[in-house]
Amino acid sequence: MILARLDVDGFRNLEGAADFSPSLNIFYGDNAQGKTNWLEAVYVLGTTKSFRTSQLRDCISFDAARSLITGLTERESISKQLQTLISPSSKELYANGKRETLSRYLGNLTVFSLSLEGMEVIRGDASNRRRLIDRGIVALSPAYLDRLAEYNRVVKQKNKLLVTAQESGSPARFYSQIEVWNEQLISVASEVHTARSSYVQMAEAQLERENHGRAIFGAESVSIGYRSCLEGKGDLSRYSELLHERLALRMPAEIAAGHCLIGPHRDDIELLADGREVARFGSAGQQRSTLFLLVLAQISIYTSTYEERPVLLIDDIDAELDRGRIEALISELEGRAQTFVSTSRRAIANRYRDRARVLLVERGRIAKDTPAFYETAAPATRQALEVQTLDAYDEEEAPALE
Amino acid sequence: MLDYAEPVTRLIDELKKLPGIGHKSAQRLAFYLLRSGRNEAERLIDSIREVKDKIILCSTCNNFTDVDPCRFCAGAGRDHRIILVVEEPLNLVTIEKTREYKGLYHVLHGALSPIRGIGPEELKIKGLLERLRSSEVEEVILATNPNTEGEATANYLSRLLKPLGLKITRIAMGVPVGSDLEYADEVTMHKALTNRHEI
Repeated sequence: MILARLDVDGFRNLEGAADFSPSLNIFYGDNAQGKTNWLEAVYVLGTTKSFRTSQLRDCISFDAARSLITGLTERESISKQLQTLISPSSKELYANGKRETLSRYLGNLTVFSLSLEGMEVIRGDASNRRRLIDRGIVALSPAYLDRLAEYNRVVKQKNKLLVTAQESGSPARFYSQIEVWNEQLISVASEVHTARSSYVQMAEAQLERENHGRAIFGAESVSIGYRSCLEGKGDLSRYSELLHERLALRMPAEIAAGHCLIGPHRDDIELLADGREVARFGSAGQQRSTLFLLVLAQISIYTSTYEERPVLLIDDIDAELDRGRIEALISELEGRAQTFVSTSRRAIANRYRDRARVLLVERGRIAKDTPAFYETAAPATRQALEVQTLDAYDEEEAPALE
Repeated sequence: MLDYAEPVTRLIDELKKLPGIGHKSAQRLAFYLLRSGRNEAERLIDSIREVKDKIILCSTCNNFTDVDPCRFCAGAGRDHRIILVVEEPLNLVTIEKTREYKGLYHVLHGALSPIRGIGPEELKIKGLLERLRSSEVEEVILATNPNTEGEATANYLSRLLKPLGLKITRIAMGVPVGSDLEYADEVTMHKALTNRHEI
């Protein structure tokens, strides 16, 4: 599936529409013109979340009451219109003009992203890593989202009950009630555990296969493993029984703590570069490579499951990678994902203008766009445009990248 | 300054407290009532007052009723060996509409939800236990909602009732009748497959 066109209204500083190439698209322009905002709009359209803010209403432009992102996707020869409408108090999702629920909407456009914020996955706390894995699973099976929501709801209910039990002074009175919630927890927790550990296994198998990726990033070997909080406590292959035992054993401790101490919400994902924990022992470069390889592995899992390409966003590609690596990465992605990158480097826009659609962003608008722009234009206009567009990119001699 | 005369504002505010009524609907209802004849408004006032005066909870099953015990509990044609447990009186109506169920009911008036401060004491569980101890009941059907809270409630009740040696059943969950399989979500489908039966 590819994103063919994007129309924005009231989203940050963006205005107008953009048409995209099925392979590589480069948002190019000076700083603070809105390149990242375009990437963000694609991300929001696909995931209904932003990679920059947890408050989606922050994306509404200052002079608008709401923002509407409209995308046109193409899957084989079928096109579909997707819309995300953000207002200060709500978020509405539409497919072909019909309102959709989140889990039904999400399968329409699968977006992965690589950005500086993404480094939290490596360096931040475990919740970032769980989220990355969960998003990967949702891309494969949107219904997983409902199971996660259900799990979180049970945890919330049980947390409240644990606090009540603790404050009551006679916690024993609450044991039978807590057991009831434990049972609810166990049934959903097993599903989450199974989904996550099998996804991580697929990712690990994919990472072993990513020889090209390794060559690009120079990391010798990256591996991933799911670390359940029950690790070392017994036989994980009979997860439900083990969780049941542990929950019974730890009930007094959970009451004392006033919140759930065991379950998938306490699990972590271990990332190793050359056999060592990358967050603690890896260099900045190794950490970045690990994240890139991980996202590439997620793309491969998606592609091999659905036999179609997802969308990949790379914000500020030149800040992340040097010229050689950009080149290697772009060739690597060819045919594997519809890629959108942003850059302020004229040299990069220039270098790829034959293979990519370059979209010049000025004050939120796509000011110029090449080459598809003149593919469809009449010969005379085409000539005029050619001069114009090439001028725009050739003014500056491409500086050598480090 | 208020947008409406003070009594109108008060009416709109009261209407807005009703479930499913937002500001616009409340405004529309209020202006409808303003324009309607005095008789119509009086009838509405009277009928609200009447339910408040006359409707009580059945001392046996906790359903809304104007006579105690209610028509179901006192009904001669009902099977006194089965009790079906629901969360809300409205759920009872849905089941009664099938005209299939001839047993008795028990309304809990809620489901377990620690977040909302609802524990077993807040539900009408004590009365249910008393009923089971002192009657000829053989089966209890747990028909709480198929969501997290309803499941927890059913779970809690089944643990509580097991020692009484009764038959305890849970309503089946699966694909909705009269619709297409393609519209069933994964969880429902999963439940339907797990609970499949031989034909």
